[in-house]
Amino acid sequence: MIEWIQRRRGLIAGIIAAILFAMWASSQYEPRVLASILLSGLTLGALYFLVTSGLSLIFGLMDVLNFAHGTLFMIGAYIGFTLYANPRLLLNTLPFVLAFVAGWLLARWLPFSSLPAGHRRPLWVVAVLVGVFAVWGFELAPLATTALSSGGRVPTEQAQAPVGLFIARTLGLAIAGLIAGAAFIIGSEHARRPANRDLAWPIGLLALALIIAPLRLSAEGWILALDSNTRFLLALVAGAGGGAALGGLMEWSLIRPLYSRPIYQVLVTLGLVFVGTELVKGIWGPGGYFMELPAWFSRRGPSCPSPNLIAWLQDNCASIDVLGRPFPSYRIFIIALGIAMFIGIAVLLRYTRLGMIIRAGVQDGEMVQALGINVRRVFTLVFALGAGLAALGGVAAAPFLGISPGLGQEFQLQAFIAVVIGGMGSFTGAAIGALLVGLARAFGDQIVLTGIQLPWMSEAMTFSPSIARASTVLIMALVLLLRPAGLFGKKE
Amino acid sequence: MSDVLLEVDTIHTFIGQFHILEGVSLKVRTGSITALLGRNGAGKTTTLRSIMGLNPPRSGSIRLAGEPINGRPAYEIAQLGVGYVPEHRAIFRDLTVEENLRLAERKRGDLAKRSDFIMSLFPDLKRFYRHPGGKLSGGQQQMLAIARALVADNRLLLIDEPSEGLAPIIVEQIVAALRQMAAETTILLVEQNFAMAAQLADEYYILDDGRSVQHGRMADLVHDHATIDKYLGAG
Ligand SMILES: Nc1ncnc2c1ncn2[C@@H]1O[C@H](COP(=O)(O)OP(=O)(O)O)[C@@H](O)[C@H]1O
Ligand SMILES: [Mg+2]
Repeated sequence: MIEWIQRRRGLIAGIIAAILFAMWASSQYEPRVLASILLSGLTLGALYFLVTSGLSLIFGLMDVLNFAHGTLFMIGAYIGFTLYANPRLLLNTLPFVLAFVAGWLLARWLPFSSLPAGHRRPLWVVAVLVGVFAVWGFELAPLATTALSSGGRVPTEQAQAPVGLFIARTLGLAIAGLIAGAAFIIGSEHARRPANRDLAWPIGLLALALIIAPLRLSAEGWILALDSNTRFLLALVAGAGGGAALGGLMEWSLIRPLYSRPIYQVLVTLGLVFVGTELVKGIWGPGGYFMELPAWFSRRGPSCPSPNLIAWLQDNCASIDVLGRPFPSYRIFIIALGIAMFIGIAVLLRYTRLGMIIRAGVQDGEMVQALGINVRRVFTLVFALGAGLAALGGVAAAPFLGISPGLGQEFQLQAFIAVVIGGMGSFTGAAIGALLVGLARAFGDQIVLTGIQLPWMSEAMTFSPSIARASTVLIMALVLLLRPAGLFGKKE
Repeated sequence: MSDVLLEVDTIHTFIGQFHILEGVSLKVRTGSITALLGRNGAGKTTTLRSIMGLNPPRSGSIRLAGEPINGRPAYEIAQLGVGYVPEHRAIFRDLTVEENLRLAERKRGDLAKRSDFIMSLFPDLKRFYRHPGGKLSGGQQQMLAIARALVADNRLLLIDEPSEGLAPIIVEQIVAALRQMAAETTILLVEQNFAMAAQLADEYYILDDGRSVQHGRMADLVHDHATIDKYLGAG
């Protein structure tokens, strides 16, 4: 018994602290205030969770501390927002990316992929030249402007290039991709081995790029004519998908060559924070955007706020009554999204072969390799998965927090704190850590708002706003004192 | 020669800037148990890791059934039919016994096919099938580590010190199991417990200070006290 208590002293201390805190909080605040603080905390916790879960999985599996995770969150928000509010930007750039990738994949059919490795460098140079030539004079800014931007909105007919020119650029990028793909392949494994060459992918991608070209204008109208709920769901999918693709690309191109030099990896991810931020500023401008709520969460009217969740399914009010206080229904959605993702990942980890490989790899990646499993490919997948989750969080956060190039920074910091609290590499830890940080922020905000009044005080003690931010660091310090490896971290 | 399954030819392996193997050569015949002997720190583990592709040698060659495998990633070497039972077992502690075994499947149905054989060798594993690997005793973990290498169709098993830290009665069980396994596969066995190696192996190689220094038939080594004292004695 005593031994059991000693072994679980961290857990017991945690439970006692939670009970004491709950007693204090319920004496301090009325139930309805308490409920909305808790829900606010859960909302933040859900968003933090989407960032921490990937951060923690990536660290656990491949020992990479990805400083750019918050940047992926921010980029996800931008991609989702763009599809939601300004799809012409995507329609006028996506074909280029598709064509480049199609060319890259097509390179495996080229006879010159069996050239000696010495031809590599000149081919790279040619690829870059062709690529630059193909996009020479392409103007992004008029496409990116919206009614909110400083320049004002340019009509799409004027902002986008004529079809002929656009197709020429697309084909130019396909050729650049082809040459770059060949440069990548020659002298490597792929050229020597009979690759599993499937023509369907490159041809499909190129066809898609060419189909979009003449349809850009009508597709824009078509997307904008969709109801806001559908567009919102598409935005979530596009943001998450775009983030996952970027994450996979990032692992494959920048992280993978550096597994033997972990310090460089950290520096690369740190560098990507600045590159990503500048890139976003370059495309979307330095200012922020506000993403409108979809119809599901924005109705106002005499029957609002919805008396409960069931009624909200009918009336789609912007807020829901919680113990007599209105609470924004969109935040409930964020909480639900966080819970759904938690369950989804937990199921993936527990019941699928990929999940089994991840759990095993967190403990001993080398042994997983020795069993005949290509761990590197799993690394890329997990990196993409983590990036996709963060980007999904970014889209979900956009209507709630707004979108700006600084969005990633704040989340990155809080997510690190949450991961450290929960224990690096533990999925449950990431969830609990995110929840704690979210709740701490919410209580911190409330304390800043109203101060603290204890029975013996004549008037409330007030705090400066920085206490809300400091509170999470305080929790981290406390947890690390009790359990240096974090709440769920393995002692090693 | 076609009956040589594994041929290691003067490999040199570095860990960081340390030159650990300075010319190790050995041949393992198909269907045999070959013991790799030598003092602590002689380079036995590093040799197995070099073969497995976990510490690829910088020079020299390794052939599996005539095909060069050095320089290929570990997972490819494993897929060619090499099973690895590492020093200290490397059981996945958070995964159940079943999951540990399932992870070793290379095709769907591998485990189902081999399950009866594995469970007949190590009945304990059946009893703890759904327990986490970390909750097993040391002997059971060793059995699981060996079982894991039996799930897929492996033609060569690299086994590193299976008796380490185990009670004599467990060691006996493992010897019996290895003997049964040898009927079907080829084993390269690293073992400090000389009595155990002597019971099992057909041939031996001795490593000293990162070099192969002697090899021959195990039956001859048993009587060669001078060699045993020189290379295998304590210290
Ligand atoms: N990671 C490492 N870094 C530096 N030296 C190592 C490392 N691993 C092993 N060695 C050294 O390599 C030599 C051979 O080690 P090893 O192959 O484990 O020997 P054995 O298995 O025969 O006991 C030892 O001298 C050991 O100190
Ligand atoms: Mg050893």
